[in-house]
Amino acid sequence: MSPSAASTWRWGALVQRRDFLLAAGAVAALSFVPGVAQDAWNRVATTYPPAGGLSEAHLALVSAISDAIIPRTDTPGATDVGVPAWINVVVAGYYTDSQRAAFLDGLAAIDALAQGTAGAPFAAMSSDRRERVMSILDRPNAFERFVLRLENSHMAARIVSRSAIERMLAGLAQEARAYAWLKGLVVHGYFTSERVQKEVLRTVIIPGSFDGAAPMPLGYLRRGV
Amino acid sequence: MTRETMSYDAIVVGSGISGGWAAKELCERGLRTLVLEAGGPIDARDFVEHVQPYEMPFRGRGDRKALERDHPIQRECYACDEVAHKFFVNDNENPYTTPNEAPFRWFRGRQVGGRSITWNRQVYRWSDLDFEANAKDGHGNDWPIRYADIAPWYTYVERFIGVTGAKEGLAQLPDGDFLPPMAMTIVEHHAREKLRTAFGGERVMTIGRAAVLTTNHNGRLACHYCGPCHRGCVTHSYFNSIGSTLPAARNTGKLTLRPHSVVAEVLYDPARDRARGVRIIDARTLQEMEFEARIVFLCASAIESTRILLNSRSTRFPDGLGNSSGTLGRYLMDHHYGSGAHGTMPGFADKRTVGHRPNGTYIARFRNVKSQRADFLRGYGMHGRSGRVGWERGASLPGYGTSFKQSLIHDLGEWNLAVEGWGETLPHENNRVTLDPDVKDKWGIPAARIDVRWRDNERAMDKDMAASAAEMLEAAGCKDVHAYVSTHPPGHCVHEMGGARMSRTPKDGVLNGRNQAWDAKNLFITDGACMASSACQNPSITYMALTARAAAHAVAEMKRGEL
Repeated sequence: MSPSAASTWRWGALVQRRDFLLAAGAVAALSFVPGVAQDAWNRVATTYPPAGGLSEAHLALVSAISDAIIPRTDTPGATDVGVPAWINVVVAGYYTDSQRAAFLDGLAAIDALAQGTAGAPFAAMSSDRRERVMSILDRPNAFERFVLRLENSHMAARIVSRSAIERMLAGLAQEARAYAWLKGLVVHGYFTSERVQKEVLRTVIIPGSFDGAAPMPLGYLRRGV
Repeated sequence: MTRETMSYDAIVVGSGISGGWAAKELCERGLRTLVLEAGGPIDARDFVEHVQPYEMPFRGRGDRKALERDHPIQRECYACDEVAHKFFVNDNENPYTTPNEAPFRWFRGRQVGGRSITWNRQVYRWSDLDFEANAKDGHGNDWPIRYADIAPWYTYVERFIGVTGAKEGLAQLPDGDFLPPMAMTIVEHHAREKLRTAFGGERVMTIGRAAVLTTNHNGRLACHYCGPCHRGCVTHSYFNSIGSTLPAARNTGKLTLRPHSVVAEVLYDPARDRARGVRIIDARTLQEMEFEARIVFLCASAIESTRILLNSRSTRFPDGLGNSSGTLGRYLMDHHYGSGAHGTMPGFADKRTVGHRPNGTYIARFRNVKSQRADFLRGYGMHGRSGRVGWERGASLPGYGTSFKQSLIHDLGEWNLAVEGWGETLPHENNRVTLDPDVKDKWGIPAARIDVRWRDNERAMDKDMAASAAEMLEAAGCKDVHAYVSTHPPGHCVHEMGGARMSRTPKDGVLNGRNQAWDAKNLFITDGACMASSACQNPSITYMALTARAAAHAVAEMKRGEL
């Protein structure tokens, strides 16, 4: 992770814009790496693995499920871009004590399900067997999908209070709740990673304009900076 | 206590949306002006809008533990995120109280620029439908001004700050002096046309009117569409005071800006029957100081300005300066908002958005414009948004493995469309702010005690917002339409206003029609505190226009020797 190394890439689009070049002061300011983000990162980077995070066994399970959700293809998979390490940061530094306990209990329940269904801990089994376990874990009913959408949406608070979401989550089976959280974290961690943002999504940080009716699908992936 | 020996022509309390305008207008009219800001200085290097998710430890979800410790209330505001929380006050240093059964969210920023750094930038003119409302239905007092009084000042402000928008010719939402409009999405175009035909032209969905530049303007650059304006803007492409009004004030050579200056009270001189100056507490040294000036502008925000006045007690004004009428602190309002509906729009799969438009759509008020409903008074406007969710839908999308991954990368999911109401709140005398008898802030100033409640009219309007939103989305062709009624407590919209209302007579309010205190004619309150009703439009541009108008009036009276 190196925000400053990214600066050439980040402002590639920008320096082609005459307006921005005219504003030399603005360009200087743009290349500034904000202290607040850098400080926070240094804090996390120097304390990894975090106290109160996942054990080796938990990390192995989280890694295996992460790659089952987002495997390596022609683009990186979840563990290739450090998703389990980020999940560790969330479990240690973001979750409340009760969320962390529920998450760890849920991981144990997932492994119990794996034992019962396919005779081994999830991380230790072949890909065929993992497929069998995944097909059981990943079949949310309508209620679970609804709770998931609320849990993972910033806008949810407009509709339902946080405590109501917590109550609904508490109503899910242990393994279903842990898997729901895990899937949300895997998707978020993967697509917000530096490599995926740059190499897969090719996010343009300074688009310079807005188009409300741009063509699909080619541009989404292939739009050069 | 230190008394500042040098005195000023004018003191402005607050450096945000209103204070910046007061500073600019007073300085440009030749007054040596002292701006007192409770928070510290910031500059463009403090802005964090280009921080990417992978540069944040929690990838944009926020440092929950730190936020719960330092910002337990502020964190409920969408803009108080993982990096922009620094533009919000520390709740432990800045307490306020409410009755247990009447929660109120008070979201605040103390820094040079105030909440103009984090505001949502939506700007809509009021019309006479709004200024006449109190007089017509008897809730609140009659405004001492009408649209004609403020219209030229709206234009004046718009030309300086730069407002993007489209002219629609609606009497209830007057057009302004607009920069080119931002583009609507293809789905918004579609919805606009469907609504026009389905509701006989009565419901107009227009592109949002925002203080964001779509062309270079007054030395500031056009928007580069990076997205999160609430984190600041290194190119000053949206209006905030530190990028436009305060530099204009500074250019006159008349401005003195003093950060870390927490104003405790306005000092009153009974011999002259005027405000004498202000008493402050230095935020860092806790030292008390006094500053004197010929005129004082309070622009600290509705509740802060009201709190300062309530705390300005003297023999002549034992219940607070400006409170001769007994109305000071009363008739506090906010917009009740967020009730509406969302749905998905079939089709348009070959189209997407490129760039992050820092603006949505707006449906002008259509309730109680031509005819009066039985279930509620006044009305609401509706903010809307549309787009395709993209990979974020993956968290709740069934599936895993290669095909799941590829669909999140290559497909953006369906188009979504949502519209939500922002509703007028009736002025009510029991919606009020007082001083808490026990709780004080870090600087020893009595905390605000806030008691504001939604009442029957607001609740009835919320239901109608949800129903009309669903009706419009269905008329537009949406599927899976889901209507909802908001649960936000008062204050959550960050449009708190009232507390020191304008009035036609000294017995009905705190200020005259020029924002001048009835109790001390050299004291002006030009932020949201002055509002006698709330209308349904986002209010900031009205504060700006009233501030500029009041400043012109103040300087004219000074020149005539009347202040």
